[in-house]
Amino acid sequence: MVNENLVKDVVKEPYKYGFVTDIETEKIAKGLNEDIVRLISQKKEEPKFLLDFRIKAFKKWQKMKEPDWATLGYKEIDYQDIIYYSAPKQKEKISSLDEVDPKLLETFDKLGIPLTEQKKLTNVAVDAVFDSVSIATTFREELAEHGVIFCSISEAVKNHADLIEKYLGTVVPASDNYFAALNSAVFSDGSFVYIPKGVNCPMDLSSYFRINSGDSGQFERTLIIAEESSSVSYLEGCTAPMFDTNTLHAAVVELIALDDASIKYSTVQNWYAGDEEGIGGIFNFVTKRGKCLGKRSKISWSQVETGSAITWKYPSCLLLGEESVGEFYSVALTNNLQQADTGTKMIHIGPKTKSTIVSKGISAGKSKNSYRGLVKMGRKATGSRNYSQCDSMLIGDQASANTFPYIKSQQPNSEIEHEASTCRISEDQLFYLQSRGIEFEEAVSMMVSGFCRDVFNQLPMEFAAEADKLLALKLEGSVG
Amino acid sequence: MEIIEKIKINKSIDNQTEIQKICLDKLQSSPLPNPRSEQWRLSNKSKLTNFLDYSVNENNSKFDIPYPKNSQSTIRLIIGENCQSKLIEKNYSIQQLSEDELKKYIKEQISFFNQNENWSDLLNLSLSCKNNILGFKINGSKIPPIEIFSHASSNSLSAKTLIIFLEKNCNVELLQVNLGEDNSSLSQSTFFCLEENSSLNHGVVSYGLNKSNLLNSLNVIQQKNSEYNLGSLHFKFNYARFEIRIKQSEGNAKTNIKGMQITKKDEQISTYTKIDFDGPNGFLDQINKSLADDKSHAIFEGSIIVPKIAQKTDASQLSRNLLLSNLAQIDTKPQLEIIADDVKCKHGATISQLNEEELFYMRTRGITLTEASKLQLSSYFQEIISFIPVSKDRWDLLDKLLNEN
Repeated sequence: MVNENLVKDVVKEPYKYGFVTDIETEKIAKGLNEDIVRLISQKKEEPKFLLDFRIKAFKKWQKMKEPDWATLGYKEIDYQDIIYYSAPKQKEKISSLDEVDPKLLETFDKLGIPLTEQKKLTNVAVDAVFDSVSIATTFREELAEHGVIFCSISEAVKNHADLIEKYLGTVVPASDNYFAALNSAVFSDGSFVYIPKGVNCPMDLSSYFRINSGDSGQFERTLIIAEESSSVSYLEGCTAPMFDTNTLHAAVVELIALDDASIKYSTVQNWYAGDEEGIGGIFNFVTKRGKCLGKRSKISWSQVETGSAITWKYPSCLLLGEESVGEFYSVALTNNLQQADTGTKMIHIGPKTKSTIVSKGISAGKSKNSYRGLVKMGRKATGSRNYSQCDSMLIGDQASANTFPYIKSQQPNSEIEHEASTCRISEDQLFYLQSRGIEFEEAVSMMVSGFCRDVFNQLPMEFAAEADKLLALKLEGSVG
Repeated sequence: MEIIEKIKINKSIDNQTEIQKICLDKLQSSPLPNPRSEQWRLSNKSKLTNFLDYSVNENNSKFDIPYPKNSQSTIRLIIGENCQSKLIEKNYSIQQLSEDELKKYIKEQISFFNQNENWSDLLNLSLSCKNNILGFKINGSKIPPIEIFSHASSNSLSAKTLIIFLEKNCNVELLQVNLGEDNSSLSQSTFFCLEENSSLNHGVVSYGLNKSNLLNSLNVIQQKNSEYNLGSLHFKFNYARFEIRIKQSEGNAKTNIKGMQITKKDEQISTYTKIDFDGPNGFLDQINKSLADDKSHAIFEGSIIVPKIAQKTDASQLSRNLLLSNLAQIDTKPQLEIIADDVKCKHGATISQLNEEELFYMRTRGITLTEASKLQLSSYFQEIISFIPVSKDRWDLLDKLLNEN
């Protein structure tokens, strides 16, 4: 018989990224109005088209209402009590990593992110974003040799304004939803990736997002463009310190894949989740969407969501190009009083498009974990296919697992299959493992890892190891 | 929307009963359901308006029963026509509920109503006159099959209510037939209470004619060790909405549901189900099939709610859909909301057209495409039709469905 308390103990794990870096930052006044939007744009020395984009988005945001359809309960967000721009003070222009504030480098070292030259052996280029700005991007020269542009979005605005003007807001328009409009008005930084025609990006690209201040929100924006016959694998990691207050994170990610291009976007999200009583933690409202514009293009989302007090996130694919492919692989683990409402949208517009959804939800403590997904076959999506699988695992009798799949078809020559199941950690399997000398804690961890295997297999090597470790850590506790 | 206007000024009914008063009061502030709510967002607004466009008809006209009565033993009731029935035999009794019993039960139900979720019931109970409410309690054994008909005449809206208490240890087979004539609206609300160890095999066949509308709601409360089996078929309505709400109040009960809806032309037929497990060891096996052709729209939304108390629940829900035309559409949303951890819950959904490989196989054996399609459809229909009690031997629903396809 499984001791419920044991399982509960096992899933308790202190947050190890909760430290604060003591660094001088430049912040603007709290609150949001048109002047603040202009000030952000001015600080970033942006061209007029971007200021117009921001102002237009801000005006739309003012007319919009915060969505309330998700099964999330959280205290009202005071949008006037947030600092919309916060940046670590540093020398004007950084030409090499040596000039980055050592405290910042130390922070990323502590987080296990290799920014310094001697650690650049893992063959992953990193763009590190601290609060509102990008502080460093590694391996730029090597990437430039292949014609790959990998930089912060602020730099891209300056150096590649034509690309930004052409693609920004084409996948997630400013008026898409409340949080996307907010992001469009006040986004501070983020990453920009451009893979030219025929190039397979020689290394994995990675962004690391770190929130440091407790009173400023983080609004980053990522734009990835993969030209014809190119491919890229992009990784994203996030952490934040422990504060008693809730910090708002509203990001927008836009992906564009042209003919035969492929983008793989992997996330390990480990924002601070709040304490056992649900105090503090990040409110994570993210709009991620990819557009498979070209024929035979492919966009694959994989995510491991373990942090945040509130997660509201639906990475989606618009499958426009003929024979384009969308994929979504997700593991969402919630514990204590965390709430996650996450899933995907697969919109089949072009003919012979295919999509796969594999979602694994694990709910422990008093948490709430919901899968919400939409699969839509448009009238022209003849010969298209979708397969969805959503499994939930419940640990303890106070956690809840919900599944809300919306399925809509307007095309008879298409097929949609959806299946979902809910289970608990099987006592028989636990007993079997324990009878073979495996500790209870390890057995639970092994079973959770096995439950998530389908998703972990989709993650790039470095991330798969990290994700596995992360789940094991979350499940590590006071047993034994 | 004549009715809504009247509800707003509280003048829809003369000589209101107490129940009508309560429901009208509830409706007065917001007489229409919220079109943005989950339960109503897909509902075709103009069709719902059309439903409400007819004036209420409290009188009942004669109509043809679509199939012959089998034997003398079958009990045939028509809501609104022969409500005064009392049958006491050696083994069983079917007794009409007294006015107080009815009032008490309906009032209790209304106290749990949610404006959006139970809008169809609120509308029904505010329009249903005394004559159109049929309520009785059944006990005993060897009860003959029961058939109950609800009918809406042309150019009018009829509201009919059925309330049945199944007392301990009794088993009943009951077929409910809803018939809508040309240009008619039928509001049918049904309430069942299944006491311990009782079992009900329930069939619902709703069959409309040109431009007929239906709001059909079914509320079932199952006490422990009861079994409720439902086979349902809805077709040929311009607009039909079938709402099923089942509550296993103490758990330890069994529910089997097999439902089907067939839409053609520009019809819209939807099924909404909500199964609440309020105790441990509950069982549910549900399958809902849709077939959408021409420019029609078929909708299924099913939710299974398993709170902490409902440990060891075993629930499965399957939505299977056939989309046969480029202009038709299907929406389906099977959903699970689970808090108890020791449960087995699963759901599945598929949308496709007829299986091409199977069609090809049959054609290589000399069967024409039309015949092959019919064969496939007949097996698709048969699973549901064979689950509908009472009518299956006498009313050739399968033929009716196939020949009209």
